[in-house]
Amino acid sequence: MNQVNDRSRDIGAFVPAPDDDMIICRCEEITKGEIRKAVHDGMFTMTEIRRYLRTGMGLCQGQTCAKLVKGIVARELGISPAELEPATSRVPMRPIEMHIFANEAK
Amino acid sequence: MESRIAEHPILGVPEKGKKVTFTYNDTQVEGYEGEPIAAALKAAGLMVHRYTKKEHKPRGIFCAIGRCTDCVMVVDGKPNIRTCVTPLKEGMKVQTQYGVSDKPFAEQ
Amino acid sequence: MKRYDLIIVGAGPSGLSAAIEAARRGLNVVVFDENEKPGGQLFKQIHKFFGSKEHKAKIRGFVIGEQLLKEADEAGVEVVLNATVIGLYQDKEVVVRIGEAVHHYKGDAVIIATGASENMVTFDGWTLPGVIGAGAAQTMMNLHGVKPGNKVLMLGSGNVGLVVSFQLLQCGCEVVALVDAAPKVGGYGVHAAKVARTGVPFYLSHTIVKAEGEECVTGVTIAEVDSHFQFIPGTEKHFDVDTICLAVGLSPMSQLLKMAGCEMEDNPKRGGQVPICDEYGRTSLPGVFVAGDVSGIEEASSAMIEGRMAGIVAAEYLGYMEKEELDSNLVDLDKALDGLRQGMFAPKNRGKDIETTDEGIPVSKNLLKHGFVADDEIERFPGVTHAKGIHPVMECTQNIPCNPCQDACPKHCIRIGSNITALPAVEEGSECVGCGMCVASCSGQAIFLVDETYEEGYASITIPYEFLPLPEVGAKGNALGRDGKKVCDAEVISVKSIPAFDKTNLLTMKVPTEYAMKARFYKEA
Repeated sequence: MNQVNDRSRDIGAFVPAPDDDMIICRCEEITKGEIRKAVHDGMFTMTEIRRYLRTGMGLCQGQTCAKLVKGIVARELGISPAELEPATSRVPMRPIEMHIFANEAK
Repeated sequence: MESRIAEHPILGVPEKGKKVTFTYNDTQVEGYEGEPIAAALKAAGLMVHRYTKKEHKPRGIFCAIGRCTDCVMVVDGKPNIRTCVTPLKEGMKVQTQYGVSDKPFAEQ
Repeated sequence: MKRYDLIIVGAGPSGLSAAIEAARRGLNVVVFDENEKPGGQLFKQIHKFFGSKEHKAKIRGFVIGEQLLKEADEAGVEVVLNATVIGLYQDKEVVVRIGEAVHHYKGDAVIIATGASENMVTFDGWTLPGVIGAGAAQTMMNLHGVKPGNKVLMLGSGNVGLVVSFQLLQCGCEVVALVDAAPKVGGYGVHAAKVARTGVPFYLSHTIVKAEGEECVTGVTIAEVDSHFQFIPGTEKHFDVDTICLAVGLSPMSQLLKMAGCEMEDNPKRGGQVPICDEYGRTSLPGVFVAGDVSGIEEASSAMIEGRMAGIVAAEYLGYMEKEELDSNLVDLDKALDGLRQGMFAPKNRGKDIETTDEGIPVSKNLLKHGFVADDEIERFPGVTHAKGIHPVMECTQNIPCNPCQDACPKHCIRIGSNITALPAVEEGSECVGCGMCVASCSGQAIFLVDETYEEGYASITIPYEFLPLPEVGAKGNALGRDGKKVCDAEVISVKSIPAFDKTNLLTMKVPTEYAMKARFYKEA
């Protein structure tokens, strides 16, 4: 089992840091502290973090913050960012209005 | 200070569309047809495009190529318009976006 | 559902190059790009490119963009703009938003050439209006003719940070400082040197503490960092700025490939999440290929070659070309790509400490720390020599893949040899006629013509000059050293601007002889 999914692993307690109020996800206004706390709440994968906090689920779809969030989560877990699977990529890759998304060209 | 580049040492005199007028909130602003709304606002020295929903913090141009969506505003009544990739047209109504509304937070 | 032989996503340097090669071999090719204009980032690149002739060296990026568009048009490539690919499925179904509708296309082969997105760093106030990406600065000034700011601080000393700093200076902005948390300049020394000599101070081992301002940026505080990138208290420095520009690297924009089910890996050497692919861009999915930054961050010159490779590999995959023809085509492209991937900045050397050049000369420490070669270091490089009369002085001190100077000299005064990363040297016995072609052809603006015996007590120095207003002959001002500080008074004695120089003006100034090897820039007093 890789380290990421080993939920029995002790990652220690959440320790507040001076930069916890730093905005990381600009669209959804999620802070570094919220992301770090989420890891201690048991959210070990990028997909879990995303569903739990909505990081990377705003208008830009994680264009800016994906790498930053990954770095923070990896550090909290004590692993390399390369070991973390990125969140699922899904249609639509860019912001799109629902009336266009639903409008299939004939 | 003038922020339009009159003549560039490599690119020469910038090619621009015809001059148009649009409204930014309640003021009349000039720009060039076809340039991104954000470019016209920047040239006029207008930096704040929106205030965020949760923390009510100002945001402006960040990536300028339509990726980061930080520069969105209410354009002709529609919110979340990426001004850095939306071409300017005569008479456009461009408004500061508060959260996802054109109404300041106190009025929402 | 409309079918194409080949669907390419992204009309940047690699996508267009792939399209041209494939269309020339008879494939029915369409290129989708989400932007209003094609060319990717090429049209924002106003500097002359490095490399050799086959890499379109000494041609400015936006001109290369125009050439590619023309070739694509002649080859019959269909380029669809304002067409955002929002999905890619495993059976090579491409979902595209065009206008107010969503269209589905089927490609027998697909090339993903979506490029990269900018990395960002966080600091107090990083969400304030006025904090922008380096790409945003380029877009505003070089595409839309609007200055990104008046007083700018640049974070990042890689090639993007250096090149964009120079571009900011060219459009009339003041660059108050170039800052990088790393202890060494990351980009080409010649790019750093042309910024430093105009007077921009470099702060290595420094980073941003805080962007100041309520509604938008009004200032910035930086501080020195230790080897663990922690701020050292008491080292804070404040600058009044209205713009902070971030140039801290790129990440491949590979989400479409992940969506399609390509095998991916996180490879820091390639810049992040990349598809696992072979050297010609074949991914784990048959018929899905990649080219350019999406498969690993490099630069536009290599992206164009990778694009051409992917284009012909796709042609062979679909049976438009025999295996033998493919192999013989790839030989030349392999060679061209290999030529670019040599030298100190080669991908294989990333993160390595390089102490000496290939020639065995110790590299300039000052260049890495402050952005310019110190006066007491410069004379150890082979391009820097003394001679009677006018002669070229090539302040090219790192092994980078570039050789236009060698071809530019009609008198064959400059020798690089067949290895294009070798440092340029003066060919003994050759006679410089002072035409200045080498000065104008040097993509790094690192060549100067020096005449130490110009007249009694005075030397003449010819420098490349790409700023406005162009000083007039007879103007008196200051000669600046490599560090951007005044070394002496100078008088402009000639300003040449001919089409062959391609917008690089040659400014010749007269300085007292003792400053002939020190004065490297001219500024009005």
